[in-house]
Amino acid sequence: MTTAETTHDHHDEGSYLTPKYGVMGTIWDWMTTVDHKKIGVMYLFAVLFMFFLGGVAALAVRLELLEPVRVAADGTITGQLFGPANPESIATGNNIFNRLFTLHGAIMVFMFIIPSVPAALGNFFLPLMLGAKDVAFPRLNLFSWYIYVVGSLFGVFSIILGGVDTGWTFYTPYSTTTDADHWRVLLMVLAAFVLGFSSILTGLNFIVTTHKLRAPGMGWFDMPLFIWAIYATSIIQVLATPVIGITLLLLIFERLFKVGIFDPALGGDPVLYQHFFWFYSHPVVYVMILPGMGIISEILSVHARKHIFGYRAIAFSSLGIAAVSFIVWGHHMFTAMGELASTIFSALTFLVAIPTAIKMFNWIATLYKGSIAINTPMLYALSFLFLFSIGGLTGLPLGALATDLHLHDSYFVVAHFHYTMMGGTVIAFLGGIHHWWPKMFGRMYNERAGMIGCVLVFIGFNLTFMTQFFLGTQGMPRRYASYIDEFQTLHVLSTYGSWILLAGFLVHLFNFIHSLVAGPKAPPNPWGGLTLEWETESPPIEHNFHHEVLVQHGPYDFDTVVPPHCDEREFPLPETPASH
Amino acid sequence: MTMPFSLPLTTLANAVPPVRVLPNNADGFQEIFFRTNGQTDSAVWTDGLFMLTFWFSTFFFVLLMGLLVYWCIIYRRRPGVPQKISPSHNTPLEILWTVVPSSGMLVIFFLGFQGYMDKLVPASGALQLEVTGFKWDWKVSYPDGTQTGQTVTLGGRNDIKVHALPEDTEVSLRLLSNDVIHAFWIPDFRMKMDVFPNRYTGYGFRTPVLGPEDDHPEGRYRDHWVFCAEYCGDLHSEMAAVLRVMPRADYEQWLKDQGSSGDPVIDGKRVYSSMCATCHTVNGAKNIGPSWMNLYGSTREFEDGTSQIADDNYIRESILNPNAKIVKGFQPQMTSYQGVINDTDIANVIAYMKSISEHVEQPAEGEGEGEAPASETDAEGEG
Repeated sequence: MTTAETTHDHHDEGSYLTPKYGVMGTIWDWMTTVDHKKIGVMYLFAVLFMFFLGGVAALAVRLELLEPVRVAADGTITGQLFGPANPESIATGNNIFNRLFTLHGAIMVFMFIIPSVPAALGNFFLPLMLGAKDVAFPRLNLFSWYIYVVGSLFGVFSIILGGVDTGWTFYTPYSTTTDADHWRVLLMVLAAFVLGFSSILTGLNFIVTTHKLRAPGMGWFDMPLFIWAIYATSIIQVLATPVIGITLLLLIFERLFKVGIFDPALGGDPVLYQHFFWFYSHPVVYVMILPGMGIISEILSVHARKHIFGYRAIAFSSLGIAAVSFIVWGHHMFTAMGELASTIFSALTFLVAIPTAIKMFNWIATLYKGSIAINTPMLYALSFLFLFSIGGLTGLPLGALATDLHLHDSYFVVAHFHYTMMGGTVIAFLGGIHHWWPKMFGRMYNERAGMIGCVLVFIGFNLTFMTQFFLGTQGMPRRYASYIDEFQTLHVLSTYGSWILLAGFLVHLFNFIHSLVAGPKAPPNPWGGLTLEWETESPPIEHNFHHEVLVQHGPYDFDTVVPPHCDEREFPLPETPASH
Repeated sequence: MTMPFSLPLTTLANAVPPVRVLPNNADGFQEIFFRTNGQTDSAVWTDGLFMLTFWFSTFFFVLLMGLLVYWCIIYRRRPGVPQKISPSHNTPLEILWTVVPSSGMLVIFFLGFQGYMDKLVPASGALQLEVTGFKWDWKVSYPDGTQTGQTVTLGGRNDIKVHALPEDTEVSLRLLSNDVIHAFWIPDFRMKMDVFPNRYTGYGFRTPVLGPEDDHPEGRYRDHWVFCAEYCGDLHSEMAAVLRVMPRADYEQWLKDQGSSGDPVIDGKRVYSSMCATCHTVNGAKNIGPSWMNLYGSTREFEDGTSQIADDNYIRESILNPNAKIVKGFQPQMTSYQGVINDTDIANVIAYMKSISEHVEQPAEGEGEGEAPASETDAEGEG
C-alpha cells in the first residue's frame, strides 16, 4: 500500500471536485470553469452520452438485421421491424433503417470518437503529465467545449426533426438531392462543420501546451508516449480539419443555391467531393487511433512494470503515421478512380502500415520479463493488441487493389474499421478510463466487475464483428436494410454479439456509478506509475501540484525508481541496477 | 514447402486459362471465407491473393498473440517479485521487424496491382453490355438493344431480374448512372466498380465454362448475384439482379425470347418489368410512385392543386420530366428517363397502361392482363 511518505507539504487545498459554493453556484462554477480537469470531465460525460445515443442506433440497426425483409407475392411484408404498421411498400421502413445507420455513423465519428480520447482524457492528463498547471489557453479550452456542445445540439436537432439518410460520408449527389424539401440535412452538415472548430482549437491548444509548458527537466524524449500521441493527433487536427470545413460549406452552397460543384446535373463532379471528404476523413482515422495507441503505451508499461520497448521508435512512428496519413486518402476510392491514381494510393497505403506494425512489435516486446498485473486496464490493453492486430492485418487485402475491388463497400470493410475504431480506440478509451479513473474521481472501482465487463465486451465484440468479415467476403454489401437468405445465420450471430456487448457496457456503467457513490478512496498512485500525474493527489488539487514539478526520472524507469507515494514492498525494484 | 503457403501460390500459378472454373472447388479457410471459389479466372486469382494475405497475416498474428499469452502467463505478477531487467531497445531486432513485414507488404502490393490490371483491361472483341443504374434497379442492354423481362425467385427474394450471358465469353460492361452513384458488384467475379451519373466506368471478365454440375431441370446455367454496393437510398438493398451464364445456344434463344413480340402491350409490360416495377405497382397498391392500375384516362390531382386527365402526353411528360407534376400524396422521387428509354418503348408503355385501365375500352382478348409480373413464358403465351 502507499504510504504517506512524500516530499511535499500537505496544504489544505481541496481537490478540483470539492464544491465551494451552493448547488447553483457549483453548476455556474463548472459552466464557467477554465480548469482543464473540469473541462476534461465535462467532455468525458458529453462524449459518453453521445456514445450512448450512437450505441442505441447501432443496436437498432443490428436488431433490424436479425431477419431479412421479404415481400410476398400478395404484397405482405415480413421482417421489417421499424416502419409504419401496415406499410404499402418496404421503402418507408428502409428509410428509417437508413436514418438509423446514418445517425450511428455520424454521431460515433463526429461527436464521439474524434473528441473521445483527446478532448476528455487528453484535456485532463496532458497538463498533468507535463507537470503544468493548465493548458496554454484555458479560456479557449472552455470555448472549444461550448462549440462542441453547440455542434452536437445541431446534430441532435437534425435527428429530432427526422434525421438524415445520407450516410455519415454525405456522398454527393445523393446528399445534395435527398430530403430536398427539408433543411435537416443542412443542419447535420452544419453540425459536422461546427464540431470541426472545436477539434481545431483543442489541437492548437495542445500543440502550444506541449511546446511551452513542459516541466523543468522534461525534454522531448522524456515525455510520456501518451503526450507524443496527443501531439501527433493535434497536428492532424489543425491541418486536416479546415479541409472538411470548406468541403461541407461547398455542400451547403450546392444544396441551398444550386451552385454546381459536386452534382453532375449542375455541372459538378461527385468524385471531387470524395477527394475533398477523404482528404480530411482519412487523416482523421489517425486522430481516432493515435491517442488510443498512446493510452496503450502507458497502460502496458505501468502494469507490466517495464520500460516501454523502443521508446523513440514509438514516438517517431506516431509522427510518421501523422505525416503519411495525409497522402493515403485515395484508398477509399479505388472503385472510383483511374488506374494510375489507384496504383499510387495503393502503394502509399502499404507505407502507413509499417509504423503501425512497428508499434505492435514494440508493445508486445514491452511485456518480456515484466511483472504483469492482470487487472481491468491491462485486460483492455491486451484486448487492444488482439483486436487492433486483426483490424490492421485485415487492412492488407483492402489496400491491395485486386482484392479491394471485391471487398470495397462490403461488410468486410465494416468489420475492418470496427476492429480498428472500436477494437482499437474504444477499447483503449475504456482501458484508459479504468487506468485513470482513480486519479480523475479519487475512488477505486470494483476490479472484479471491471474484468467481467471487459471479458463480456471482448466476447461480444468478436461475435458481432468477426462474423461480418465472412459476410463481406461472401458478398454482403454494407448499408443494406435486407439481404438474401444465405447471409442470415451470420447476421443473427452478429446481432447476438451486439447484445453481449451491451451487457458488458452495462456492467461498466453500474461499476462506475457504484464507484462514484460507494467506491473506496483511491490512493494517489494505485498502480505505481512514474508519470507526473501520479505525483499529485487523487483527485488532483485545483492547481494540479503543490509545488512546481522538477523532472528527475524518465516516465518508464521502473527498474531504478520507486514510484511516488508507493512502498517498495509492493513495487520492488529488480536487484541488479539497470545498465540500459 | 509447407501446406499453407503452397496452397495460394499454386492457385496463382494455375490461374492461367484455359482452366474450367468449377462452381465450387473451395475448401478449408477459402470455403469459410467465400463459400465458393471465384467464378472467373481473375476472380480465382484474387482468391489466391486473398488467401496468401490471409496466411501471411495469420503467421504474424499467431506469432504475436502466442508471445503475448505466453509472457502474460510466465511473467504474471507475483507479490514481492520484481520484473527482470532486459534491454529497452534493440536496434538490429527493430530493423528486422520493420524490414521483414515491409517486404511482405511490398509483395502483396505488387500482386494486388497485377490482379487489378488483369481485371480492368478488357479483351478485344468482347460482348459489350450497356448497364444503366437508376433508383433502384439495373437496366442491361444487349448489343441488339434487347433488355430482359425475365424474373426469378432467388435467395428468398421475388422478382429478381435475370440477365443472360453466354458461357466462356469475354464480356465488357459499360456502366452509367441515371441519378446518384451506384456500384455494380458481382461477388462471384470478385469485382465491382462505381457507377457515376456523369461518366462511363466499366470492367470486363470472361464468363465461366459450364459443365454437368450446372444442369438444372430448366436447363444448363449458373447464376451469379449482382448487388448495388454504393449507398443510393430507400431501396438500395433491393437493387439486385442475377447474371445467368448459359450455353451459347440457350443464350441466343433467350435473347430472341426477350426481343420484340410485335405486340406493344406485351413489349410495354416488359419495359415495365425492367424499369418501372420497383416503384410502381399494377395492382392498385401505393408504392414509391402511384400504381398504374386504372391510371390511364383517370383524372390526376397534383400537389399544387391543379389536375389533368392522364393522356398520352401526360404519360410521356411523366417519364421524361417526372417532377413537372407531382401527384397528391407523393414525393418528387423519380429522375428523368430521358436517354434511358426510347420513343418506341414509351409508346409500348402507354399501350400497356391502356390495357390495365378501366378508363379505356378493352378489346376482348386484352382482358385479364396486368396482374402477374412478366415472366419468360409470356413471350410465347401472348405472341
